[in-house]
Amino acid sequence: MQRGNQRGNEALSARLSPFQKIYLLLVAGFIVGPFLPVIVQSLAFRWAWPELLPGTWWLEQRETSMIPLAWDYVLSPYSRVWEATVNTVFIGSVVTVICLAICLPVARLLARDSFAGKSAFEFFLSLPLIVPEAAIGIALLMIFIRLGLAGGYVGIIVAHLIPTIPYMVRMLAAVYQGLGREFEEQAMILGARPSQILWRVTLPMLLPGVVAGALFTFLVSTNIFLLTFFLGQGQVITLPTLLFSKISGGNLDTTAAAITLIVTLPGIILLIISERFIKEEAFGKGFGS
Amino acid sequence: MKPKVSISTLLAIFAATSVWADDAGDAAFRDAFLSGGADWPAVEARAAEEGEVNIFYWGGNDLLNIWMDRVVAPAMAERGVTLNPVRITGTKDAVDLVLAEKNSGKGIGQGSVDMIWINGENFATLKRQDALFGSFAQSLPNSVNLEWDESDPRALLNVRDFGVPNDSAEVPWSGEQYVCAVNSARVADGDVPSTFAELKAYLAENPGKFTYVKPPHYLGNTFVQAAVYAHNPDGTGAAPFQQSIDDIAPEELARLIAPGFEYLQSIEPNLLDAGGSPRYPEDNKALDGLFLNGEIDFSCKFGLYAVAKGLETGTYPEAARQFIFPENTMIKNKNYLVIPGNAPNAAAALVLANWMTSVDSQVSKLESVGMPSGIDGWKLGADDAERLAAASPGLVGVTQAELDANAAPDTNATLVDVIEATWLEVIERDTAASIEEVVTAAYANLGK
Repeated sequence: MQRGNQRGNEALSARLSPFQKIYLLLVAGFIVGPFLPVIVQSLAFRWAWPELLPGTWWLEQRETSMIPLAWDYVLSPYSRVWEATVNTVFIGSVVTVICLAICLPVARLLARDSFAGKSAFEFFLSLPLIVPEAAIGIALLMIFIRLGLAGGYVGIIVAHLIPTIPYMVRMLAAVYQGLGREFEEQAMILGARPSQILWRVTLPMLLPGVVAGALFTFLVSTNIFLLTFFLGQGQVITLPTLLFSKISGGNLDTTAAAITLIVTLPGIILLIISERFIKEEAFGKGFGS
Repeated sequence: MKPKVSISTLLAIFAATSVWADDAGDAAFRDAFLSGGADWPAVEARAAEEGEVNIFYWGGNDLLNIWMDRVVAPAMAERGVTLNPVRITGTKDAVDLVLAEKNSGKGIGQGSVDMIWINGENFATLKRQDALFGSFAQSLPNSVNLEWDESDPRALLNVRDFGVPNDSAEVPWSGEQYVCAVNSARVADGDVPSTFAELKAYLAENPGKFTYVKPPHYLGNTFVQAAVYAHNPDGTGAAPFQQSIDDIAPEELARLIAPGFEYLQSIEPNLLDAGGSPRYPEDNKALDGLFLNGEIDFSCKFGLYAVAKGLETGTYPEAARQFIFPENTMIKNKNYLVIPGNAPNAAAALVLANWMTSVDSQVSKLESVGMPSGIDGWKLGADDAERLAAASPGLVGVTQAELDANAAPDTNATLVDVIEATWLEVIERDTAASIEEVVTAAYANLGK
């Protein structure tokens, strides 16, 4: 695998002109670049302009300090990072599964059927993306308090569905549109049961869209601050609520930098997994060729 | 960005439709306690029954976070109460939560917030919306550590929060003073200003090397207030600004603040530059960042021990030290712990409030977090006063006597609103209107 990739890379680089290489490097630098100062900051004790690197590193102060600094703080129970990570991943996963279950039938309907009021429906579907989160948050909080849903996971999960459903529906509808009815009809003619068609024909062909939609939903959910804070009533800590209490005013101190890096981890891990998944499961079997 | 307008509008809409409901047991306890009918052991027993307490506080300070977990949580556990410290981005978030719950019918005992670290405008909001537990502070056993006798002017900080009578609905937790720090690696001793005029002269020589936090942040408001005090045309400093908005006419207020604003306008071209317009940092942390990076030579904020603690955590430059500025107008105030009216664990909150005002907790907070004492040294026994003094992380470059000699009281919260609105109009929006017109408009907007 490793070798294969390497050979592939060599073959690729041999084909690229110097300009293309520089261009790719620039783009890569643009994407990875912002992470570098954050990583350095997370290891610093004091890092002031115009020093290129921190004048004092965290490790130099580690022994003499009375309190846990930098990563010692972040990895200690005081920072609540572990609790927040577990909550974030749990909420994100549940939201993604529920969102998929809701959106698959809707997307199918939107992509394949036309009905009265369809364009109005599509328009209203986007409304949650336009209305400010704070307005949705306060209004939902009022309702959920009366329903007894505030202050717990259920309320947060329901709230997270509001901004994620529009994205998911749009992504899935696009995939459905690209996927003709012929494949399913063919399977039906060949005698497959509806459940077989769903599991063996429709879902595998939808998989890239499903994975992309799920990934997006998960990432959106793990980044929602205001709705989580309001509906969790501050009792449910997630990575965004933790980070927002740490950063403000555009100044990133050492522990905020370390927490920032941790916040990106679930997304990066998921991205790597889904990348593999899409390639091997769908494209690997020759889909789309 | 927090869309404040939409939140308060929504709250108003929902308030109109709300049904107020109380928990009978909690309401009875509250009435009994506030009327003096519940003795302290009974409160402690009830607190242990409630079993937990939710305190909401600004979570941007690692030292405070560690202290809450390391010191407060075990102390509460000893009393049978689990501490649930909720770290928030801004105090306003917790206030919004309390009001949202109240307005959707969560009455006494039915909310989710037991205690908030608070002062100024946020307290005034809770008071205005009638969302307070009540006058509890003087009924706590440890209230003996605080001065309540109003014939002593020093008691004012305990009974008035930004000039607003707090009716003991909050208990003092920490005292602060607006102190400036200088990066002495960049500024010669002789150049450190002690008056606004000297600051202006320094900026003329060294343009761009100073700025202050942007109002309406309280750190920015305080700088503006200090400038207004120092330029008071009557020379009476802070005195006229202790009145409430109802007692001072807009024309009179405009006359008193005009020279201060003229000064602020005059230094604006020489403040930290952000591409042709001055840059006002958003908050505490942004200010610290500018100071650490040497973009500004002086940093002014509430932080008696900010330099000592900043050196310990690497957030201040190594050569930072404090200095006396502006002479005679270094604003002093306190911050408090408030119990909201719908606190679900009111007895546990009272026990927590009482512990927070104990000498032990104040000594420990001062030592580990660097938050100045909120209790009054002269009310303590000699031993305790000594312990409290010894716990101080230390002033860097100034003495307590100098700070006391230059202290000034905070501005009345109702006038802070006007001064804040005036700043936004005159400095930020560069209005062509006169200060008197701006102040009059602000009065009208505030419904006076």
